[in-house]
Amino acid sequence: MPNMSAIVHPQQRHFNPYAENGGTILAIAGADFTVIAGDTRQSEGYSIQTRYAPKVFRLTDRAVLAVNGFAADGNMFVKKVKQRLEWYKHAHAKDMPLRAIARLIQTMLYAQRFFPYYVYNILGGIEEDGSGAVYSFDPVGSYEREACRAAGAAQSLVQPFLDNQIYFKNQTAAPGRSHPSHLPLPDVLSIVVDSFTSATERHIEVGDGLEIYIVLAKGRSLQGVEGLHGLRELSTQEDGERVFVLQRDLKKD
Amino acid sequence: MGMPPTPYTPDPRRSQAWIPFNTRSEQPIVTGTSVLALTYKDGIMLAGDNLASYGSLACSAPRLSVTIPSYTIFGASGNMSDFQYLQHDLDNLIIQEEVTAQDGHQLGPKQIHKYLSQVFYARRSKMDSLWKSVLGGGFKDGKRFLLFVDLLSVTYTVLTLATCYGVYIAQPLLRKAFEGSEVRKIKEDWLHVLFYRDPRSTNQYQITTISAAGPTISPSLKLETEWSFAESIRGYGPQTQ
Amino acid sequence: MSQIWKYVRVTPSGGRVRGVPARSSTTSISLPGTPDHLSSQSTLILRFVMSIMEHNGGSVVAMAGKNCVAIACDLRLGAGAQTIATNFEKIFPVTDRMYLGLAGLASDVVTLREKFRYLTNMFLIKESRPLEPSTFAHLVSSTLYERRFGPYFCEPVLAGLERTPSGSYKPYIVGTDLIGCLNFAKDFIVTGTASDKLFGVAEGLWEPDLEPEDLFETISQTLMNAVDRDAYSGWGAVVHVITPDKVITRTLKGRMD
Repeated sequence: MPNMSAIVHPQQRHFNPYAENGGTILAIAGADFTVIAGDTRQSEGYSIQTRYAPKVFRLTDRAVLAVNGFAADGNMFVKKVKQRLEWYKHAHAKDMPLRAIARLIQTMLYAQRFFPYYVYNILGGIEEDGSGAVYSFDPVGSYEREACRAAGAAQSLVQPFLDNQIYFKNQTAAPGRSHPSHLPLPDVLSIVVDSFTSATERHIEVGDGLEIYIVLAKGRSLQGVEGLHGLRELSTQEDGERVFVLQRDLKKD
Repeated sequence: MGMPPTPYTPDPRRSQAWIPFNTRSEQPIVTGTSVLALTYKDGIMLAGDNLASYGSLACSAPRLSVTIPSYTIFGASGNMSDFQYLQHDLDNLIIQEEVTAQDGHQLGPKQIHKYLSQVFYARRSKMDSLWKSVLGGGFKDGKRFLLFVDLLSVTYTVLTLATCYGVYIAQPLLRKAFEGSEVRKIKEDWLHVLFYRDPRSTNQYQITTISAAGPTISPSLKLETEWSFAESIRGYGPQTQ
Repeated sequence: MSQIWKYVRVTPSGGRVRGVPARSSTTSISLPGTPDHLSSQSTLILRFVMSIMEHNGGSVVAMAGKNCVAIACDLRLGAGAQTIATNFEKIFPVTDRMYLGLAGLASDVVTLREKFRYLTNMFLIKESRPLEPSTFAHLVSSTLYERRFGPYFCEPVLAGLERTPSGSYKPYIVGTDLIGCLNFAKDFIVTGTASDKLFGVAEGLWEPDLEPEDLFETISQTLMNAVDRDAYSGWGAVVHVITPDKVITRTLKGRMD
């Protein structure tokens, strides 16, 4: 039986202020580092708008934010977060700590509860105790600290893979041994690259390019990243936490 | 497509209810179709025809413009009144910056792009979008720059751009051809194709460029068209064999 | 009841013309925007529509290895979000070296199982020769296409070993959609409510030329990790690894939440 009320009163066509611009983001926390990555394709429907539109942004030397969903909202949201962090720096003469940025983001998202930013955020970086951390958010600000998280178009492809490879779900350690609670940086980087090549293979909205941000805790050596091709440092200070970015190609079809 | 744009006249069926002003831009009224944009070795080139359509009623109107002090050229498709409003708005912005401020700073194409994205975002957030897409090109400090903003404030920069039918017909081939030297020829070829296939286009067009030498804008030009091949096309329209 | 958002076209005459799936069925906050291609003569409205393919839940995956193939399914049978049974196998033997997995509407799973059992027996009686996977794949395809405009709500996956003229066996896996469009793959085939998750994990874990025990581990990890992220699949799994001389069948315990 069709819904008669809908037929008797056809609804007026409304302007839709949202779009879905594809792409996927992902972050993994290590013991003393965090990796935050996103692809660079921006699409609408079946059209690729551009092959290079960054979704991952350095906020401070110890915080990196990845945004995914509606691109206009994402860009505006990052702009506003950066503005708030700048105000904080002028007021307190230091960068905002990561957990405070996470709470700030939740407040800013919830402030738009009834006209939300259609954006899934993943914040990664280094906590004040020097540990790697990942915070993931829904569009209206519900958030959680985790060890790893994927979001966006290929979330359903990538997240179960991370469950298996990062959390060792459904794997039993050899007798007398246990799974590591944190993986070393080179392992994490290869899992990130594998996740994105897999997602590119099976999801049309993922591809073109990959940007991987690496945040290292204060005093941590470059062990595990020193030989990487095309590594670029973005940190403003040498004696604090350090931020690096790596760019890799993904398939463009 | 599909639904012809209707003028905003009082609708007797809806006259019971008061219609708030901010629902007015729920559809475009007088519209322009495709604009093409291309990065070439010296700068940026934009092309578009001179047609403004009111449903199926045609009239002539330029759809490209140049803002000289900001090293920026524009083309727009979508609601023509919003394009003209935006030209005004940018003129005012530039007067503000050049005359009132006089601080030695000049707005470049990147600043204009950001400004446009903010204006568009503010309007879409009021559910009162500027119902159009804007392509722009700029050249400042030795760098060329191609920009895009649409009604939802989705923005990006790429090497080749197109709107409307151009996205499907011209863009894939623009991408392939963009580094060639005969960019003007490429543009004219694709305006031809668009004119043949887009029912809301015309054969009068303009081309504007920006390079180190500054912006140029052509007078209204005419495409030489050839329709004799239409005789041999089968499978469309009324002919049976 | 398993329901998703769909655009439904409503014409002034009141007839429902066709349903256009919403771009994202799980987004809870997106406003009901409508695609551009609607005309003023009809209106698209967003409403909950029950999805038959997801009603009972369940997933199947098949993988090719070196001289072997594997096929695995979960054990859940549901009615929407409610779990009815946790022993509902979705993979059935066709011959000694070929298994058929059926994911979709449970009643059609049973109907098709019986239908293919009948068709297989008829083939063996009439032809008096072994039924090879490539032959059976086309039987599946044509059987489903017979119901092109009122399909069985099932997406089959077939895994078997094909006998070559030289007498050896080569892996053969194939999937079809619910109206019988064949999809031959060299690596793996996935279907069911966890298909997107299966795609992601399988794409990450699978590699060419796996030996039977490695293939068992790969397909098991793929299925378990995928169904653990799917509300409509899970509650244990059954894995069959088919080699030229034997079939290894193992039942796996899974999360029960």
